Amino acid sequence: MNTSPASDDAMLARPDTGMTRREVIGRLAALGAGAAVAAAPRRVAAQPAKAPMKLTFWTWENPQQRPWLHKRITQYTEKHPNIKVDFQWFTFTDLGKKVSVGYATGTAPDGFTTGDWLMPTWLARNLIAPLDVKQLGYPSVDAFRKDHADAFIAGAIQDGKVYGYPIWFYGFCNYLNTKQFKEVGLDPERDQPQTYAQLGEVAKRLTIKQGNKFARQGFKFAMHAPQWTMIQFNPIVVQSGGQWFDKAGKCTINNEAGVRAMTVRASIARQYGAEDPADSIATAPLPQMDWLKERCAMFSCHPIPPVAIKSQNPAMEAEGYYRPVQLPGVTADKRYSTCYGFNFVINANAPKDKQEVLHDMYRFVMSDLVDCWQATAPFTLARKSGWTDDPRVKSFPHVQEIIRAKDQGVFFPRTPVWNELADAMHRAVQKVMLNNADIKVALDEAAAEVDRATAEFKKS
Amino acid sequence: MRQWLAGPSALLGLLALAALTAVFILPIIWMVTTSFQAGEKMFQLTTEWIPSVWHPENYPNAMGRAAFPLFFRNSVIVSAAVMVGNLVFCTLAGYGLAKYRFPGAKLLLLLILSTLMLPLEVTLVPTFLVIHKLGWVNSLQGIAGPLLIDAFGVFLMRQFILKIPTDYLEAARIDGAGELRILWKIVLPQCRPVLAVLALLAFRDSWDQFLWPLAVVSHDDYRTYPLGLVRFGEDYGNPPTEQMAIAVLATIPVFLLFLLLQRALRSGFGLSGLKG
Amino acid sequence: MSSIPGATARSLSARAPLRWPLHYRLRIQLWGVGFVLPTVLFFLVFKYGPMLWAMGLSFTSYDMMKTPRFVGVENYASLSRDPIFIQALLNTLVYIAGSTVFITAVGLGLALAINNRGRGRRLCLAGMFLTNIMPIVAVCLVWRFLFHPHGLINQILSPLGVGRIDWLTDSATAMPAIIGVTVWRFAPYFMVVFLAGLLAIPREYYEAAAIDGAGVLRRFRSITLPLLMPVTFFVVVVAALLSARIFLMPFLITGGGPGGATRVLSMLIYETGFSYMKMGRAAAISVVLFAIAMVFTIIQMRLFARNEEDAAA
Repeated sequence: MNTSPASDDAMLARPDTGMTRREVIGRLAALGAGAAVAAAPRRVAAQPAKAPMKLTFWTWENPQQRPWLHKRITQYTEKHPNIKVDFQWFTFTDLGKKVSVGYATGTAPDGFTTGDWLMPTWLARNLIAPLDVKQLGYPSVDAFRKDHADAFIAGAIQDGKVYGYPIWFYGFCNYLNTKQFKEVGLDPERDQPQTYAQLGEVAKRLTIKQGNKFARQGFKFAMHAPQWTMIQFNPIVVQSGGQWFDKAGKCTINNEAGVRAMTVRASIARQYGAEDPADSIATAPLPQMDWLKERCAMFSCHPIPPVAIKSQNPAMEAEGYYRPVQLPGVTADKRYSTCYGFNFVINANAPKDKQEVLHDMYRFVMSDLVDCWQATAPFTLARKSGWTDDPRVKSFPHVQEIIRAKDQGVFFPRTPVWNELADAMHRAVQKVMLNNADIKVALDEAAAEVDRATAEFKKS
Repeated sequence: MRQWLAGPSALLGLLALAALTAVFILPIIWMVTTSFQAGEKMFQLTTEWIPSVWHPENYPNAMGRAAFPLFFRNSVIVSAAVMVGNLVFCTLAGYGLAKYRFPGAKLLLLLILSTLMLPLEVTLVPTFLVIHKLGWVNSLQGIAGPLLIDAFGVFLMRQFILKIPTDYLEAARIDGAGELRILWKIVLPQCRPVLAVLALLAFRDSWDQFLWPLAVVSHDDYRTYPLGLVRFGEDYGNPPTEQMAIAVLATIPVFLLFLLLQRALRSGFGLSGLKG
Repeated sequence: MSSIPGATARSLSARAPLRWPLHYRLRIQLWGVGFVLPTVLFFLVFKYGPMLWAMGLSFTSYDMMKTPRFVGVENYASLSRDPIFIQALLNTLVYIAGSTVFITAVGLGLALAINNRGRGRRLCLAGMFLTNIMPIVAVCLVWRFLFHPHGLINQILSPLGVGRIDWLTDSATAMPAIIGVTVWRFAPYFMVVFLAGLLAIPREYYEAAAIDGAGVLRRFRSITLPLLMPVTFFVVVVAALLSARIFLMPFLITGGGPGGATRVLSMLIYETGFSYMKMGRAAAISVVLFAIAMVFTIIQMRLFARNEEDAAA
């Protein structure tokens, strides 16, 4: 049977048992006890082969998340000396491309992590294998579904089969520099912007200009990469009543709602003059650097680990003059962001025995969520159970706000032409923000591009 | 031509030339000086040509943030291999095309020259598939392989060797020298300047490769420094000043080669004529 | 040895040795074939093979997973209707034209400037040549900072009364900025090529012209320029070939932005193939880029063939 020690299962929730069981687990976790929850009946239990096996596993680079994954996988191979894992990582933008090329040449890894927005890309081409939730410790797909964030479910489950095992999923918060708020006579609690109009007004007050140069921008949208463009624009589209695609699959971002959304997106610079889209110190692709260096007072960002803040701005971390709050909405009742995240997946071409070991490895990696939290906080987990009740989680600064951003977040459009969509939107935003293009025209061009990509995809 | 100008006007001209040179060198100086600045300086976007406080520790810090010693080692191995490959094969082919009149020689020359229209950027995907068929994905030979011979180098060598009097070679043949011996003893010694040009260009071109290694390598063990340098900027919190330090270090090998070959280069560039 | 190449060799190589026995000549010729053969084989495997492969792929729909499916000229037809492709094609042509013209002009200008000066010449030459020694990735990283709205370039320009220019984010200046970096990088190299050409012009021509009372400009127009023509052609063709393959500069400096204003064909190939997984379409774009490069290669061949004929005459 299962060769991994019972303690592997300590944090593994079994959601089908309902709240009481979950509470028990929470309490167990709280005590830090290694007490085991009886292993769920696994008919097809993961049976790591005793024969030597070499797996390849790829992930993306992040200073907290990648080392933690590496640590857990190393722990797994130490337990199973017959298994070797070749662990490789790439930049956020390169990973998807590398995996694609890997598939083309038969050099794709056996397992890898992927953004949830790319799931349709892999699924449409049958590149990833369905997972057996029982091997992951869940009695049924339904139980598995209930234990995870909507954004995850929306990308990873197809025709009743589960194709991804989620790790981190998170929303964006509006990170305020509370010192700068107080400086201009604003209260970070009472005056935090609830709507984009308020954001514009507040940002305007926080802005300091010297001639044509912003000494401080009030708020800043990232201009660096398609992915950031999408994360920040997606909720505004949804809040404006827009949608990316209609039922027939036609891109509808250029309709009235889309234009309204882009007008909101552009207003901070165009209407309030509170940001300079062409000016960022982060000529390196780290848009949050402006906020960390206090050259912008508010920034919409994924959870930022305190260690990251400390490394860039020790005073800000030590004195704690920052605070994440929910993003503003188009109206005050719609303060939500994009929720997105990362899944473990398995290469459909991997041999069966390797697939089984990968199941077992993923289950092991995710079996200690509090350890994960401690290493990577405040990157929130997609799993509902098994971590939020732990005191070490509960006592984390601003944790409720960050978890709320995840829970309220809307997810990305699910499309197999994601890369084309993101690139087209990125170009549209550049045209509007940097070259003062007409919003409707820019969105028309983007929608036409996406439709062409969709048509071609359907043909192939 | 020197006698055209003399006295004050020559001095003026020299000053103008120096100013012109400065325009070209300024970005390089900027890179070097920035690499010694505190990380914060970069964010203030002010230019301080001589750092008020020197930060030589940027260099060891930067090297320690990723496997840069390994990346540089890989780059040196690949570039040295590419340099040697070009020196050997371009010389052989250039010599063969310049001094042997076998049927089809012209055609072969055209065939080789035509590859100038097929840079790696154009044939990236199928070349990758070839390397994959050879089982060289994720290996140093995979990076170096398609770069080992460059048509321009063949052309350079042929044009140069054409100028070596054939009489020398025939005389040697009469003396009973073999073909390889003639190449080694008579042709090569005269080729030194052009070989220096070829060595520098081949090394530099391989040293600069980014897209090809990006496509062919997915393993830290085989990454070359340009991949590491670009990734360095995308990693959280890596100071741009340290990125500049890596950039400076990356300039050194080609610079050393340039210094080493300088004497030969001077006549090489003058003589090779680089002309169609 | 400083004369135009081929000139000295012409009389000698024409005298093919006929006095050797036939089998001996054959053996020598075989040596020649042997010397060239490895290179030819290499190019068949790494250049012609991939090119034919790409041409074949360009008539298929291929997402790298399923086997390629023949679609005829569909990829080309679809490209011809795609504004993104047309924009990238135009960008590529503008880039080739811009860089070639300025590389040639600046290269020639620098060569003339250096050629006429005495002292300090060598140092200036070596100094400028450093732009060629700097790794291209480093070049891109450095210029990205220099072109920042508050970076060094604008700092230098502002006392001259030039307002803030958003070099890399304004669609009007982004391409000129990239061309500027290209010229900075390559002009010194071609300066050296021009210098070699200038050195080959016999000094007596100038002296004779000076005696006839021709001024500096006149001497430049009637002696230097015509005699430099072959070198200039060479520089133009090589610079154009270099520009056609440009990838890294727009990729790292602007990412192809803003709004696709600096996206060139090589970037589109990379995106279409590796990001959108449309290998057939990417191959079709490769063939277009290949056709552009072929134009310049054919010009170069023509020049080359003419030169050979001159040499043989």
